[in-house]
Amino acid sequence: MTFLEVKHLRKSFPSPEGGKSLVVDLEKFSLKPKSLCGMKGESGSGKTTFLHLLAGILKADEGSIILDGQEVSQLSESARDRLRAESVGYVFQSFNLLQGFTCLENVLLAMSFSGQAKKPWAKELLERVGLSQRTNYYPRQLSIGQQQRVAIARALANRPKLVLADEPTGNLDPKNGQKALSLLKDLCEENGSSLLLVSHDENVIESFENQFRWEDVNQVPSSTIEE
Amino acid sequence: MFHSHFTVIALLAWRGLKQHAFSAFVAVFTISMAGGLFLSTWKIKEETLKAFSNSSGGFDAVLGARGSELKLILNAMFHLEESPGNLSWEQYEFIRDAVEVKKAYPIAVGDNYHGYRLVGTLPELFHKHEWKKGSKYEVQQGGRIFTENAKEALVGDFVARKLGLSVGSKFHPYHGLDFDENSRHQETYVVVGLLEPTGTPSDRVIWIPIKGIQQMEGHDPAFAQSVSAVLLTLKGAAAGFRLHMKYNKQGNQATLVWPVAATLARFFDRLSWFEDILALVAFFVALVGALIIFATLRTVMNEKKREYAILRCLGASRQVVTCVVLAQSLFLSLAGIIGALLAYGGIGLTASRLIREKTGVVMDPLSLPTLNKEMEYESLWHLVQEEGYESLWPLVEPFLPLLLLVLVIFLIGFVSGLIPALQAYRSSLSENLSRKS
Repeated sequence: MTFLEVKHLRKSFPSPEGGKSLVVDLEKFSLKPKSLCGMKGESGSGKTTFLHLLAGILKADEGSIILDGQEVSQLSESARDRLRAESVGYVFQSFNLLQGFTCLENVLLAMSFSGQAKKPWAKELLERVGLSQRTNYYPRQLSIGQQQRVAIARALANRPKLVLADEPTGNLDPKNGQKALSLLKDLCEENGSSLLLVSHDENVIESFENQFRWEDVNQVPSSTIEE
Repeated sequence: MFHSHFTVIALLAWRGLKQHAFSAFVAVFTISMAGGLFLSTWKIKEETLKAFSNSSGGFDAVLGARGSELKLILNAMFHLEESPGNLSWEQYEFIRDAVEVKKAYPIAVGDNYHGYRLVGTLPELFHKHEWKKGSKYEVQQGGRIFTENAKEALVGDFVARKLGLSVGSKFHPYHGLDFDENSRHQETYVVVGLLEPTGTPSDRVIWIPIKGIQQMEGHDPAFAQSVSAVLLTLKGAAAGFRLHMKYNKQGNQATLVWPVAATLARFFDRLSWFEDILALVAFFVALVGALIIFATLRTVMNEKKREYAILRCLGASRQVVTCVVLAQSLFLSLAGIIGALLAYGGIGLTASRLIREKTGVVMDPLSLPTLNKEMEYESLWHLVQEEGYESLWPLVEPFLPLLLLVLVIFLIGFVSGLIPALQAYRSSLSENLSRKS
């Protein structure tokens, strides 16, 4: 049984020369429910575009993405917004916390768009990532590692079915990177969420049982993709 | 707070502005000033006219030397400007005895004490005349009205407070209407009473017996038998019309100002160019305010593109992000409206103080139009049922400038916020997500 199934996916962008530059050309990709999966790929090889397609941030030119029985590529924009609010959590390399909001508010904001802002659960999540004493701190008052932990708590806030993590350890030192990675995996497991993590870091990918190489999945050679 | 989209939008908008507090403050300040100026041009003129019209001191008409009606009225009633000339004592007696006249009080001016006018008149003005329907002049405790031939003074409340005069104080009058310390008269006057405040120009006058002015040492002996003007109460409108025909149309010796309110209204109409200029200034300030709101929201929008993209990534729709920008313009507008009312309060109270100091006329710049009509009905709904929706117009009309102000500021905010809001609506989620913060 597959939880995420991608077929014949193609995405291109206008190139500076006037034509189109193909970034994603993927024949088939699938994920099982509650699976934790690491995908290795070079920087600028189109991994982020792939994650954006899965999350409905971008719309594919061709192909289908079936997420938990829903055809993402056929959804309207507002339906894709709802999908992100309810079923997809996203962890960025640069955390992307909202600077004007406290840790707790950042987590609550993520919940608010699905209409289920529950303060006790937000606090519990922050406690789970070791920040129970920092709930009212603003991101600028936290260390880099702590900020990423808030981002992880935020991604899990809506108990999403799928968590997409884009180089989540890229800005962290090895110790903090390892800590964040373990936390992300543990929380996804506890939550029953599937995790698709992409990274260029061999060590990170090797910690996963399910591993892919982006270059094996994507038929567009990295060298031809313009950043 | 996080349970409804409405509160989330409001929170996001508020925090966004808080992060750009200075720009937001400048935008609100500019809009406030424009709104304050706009309100001032309307309300101060209206209130001043009302205050001046109510400050005619209970007189229906003024008789003075042939010349400008306005000058006469300003001199005789508001104790401003110079006297246009004198009337003889016989002219005073003639009008006093006219069948159309109920009461006539002569006044004589020509001296001051530290810039405040000495006005000579008869004591009966304070004994008999009602400066407002049902209100006679009252003397503060411990004082009395001057006697006709004594060197005594009755001091208006404003002057007494300004100059620190009290019963028993003595002073030397100075010649002329403007204070010049070299032109002191030898006579000494004693303050025998202080008037209770009336909110009329008489508060800023030092009243003395008319003979005191007429026969003051150093005055032209020819002046000893003349008066500056005669203040009149008449026996109805027809009497006024007859006197008007007699003095202004058939005669050429004196000028009768009647009715007083119409002359004042004409005077205020002549000041409408000033109102137009203020309105123009308000318009340009509002324009600058609109541009600042636009620039502020655009800056916020540009700096927040990535943040909005993050929100979109968390599941916020385009509409939510657009509403955040529009809510920011709404907040700026609301603050602008409150600021405009405060600015108007400041301008109005300052203007009111200046007018009080210069003329003695008390105006209330913060008064709201009074609604009497609906009081006759149980409710506005009953009024509408009885007389139809048109009957609401007289109730709404006095508030039009205020409603216009609110509408214009909201429009300024909305229009200035629209372009950044559309930018937010159209912005590419994926591109903005890739921007470096």
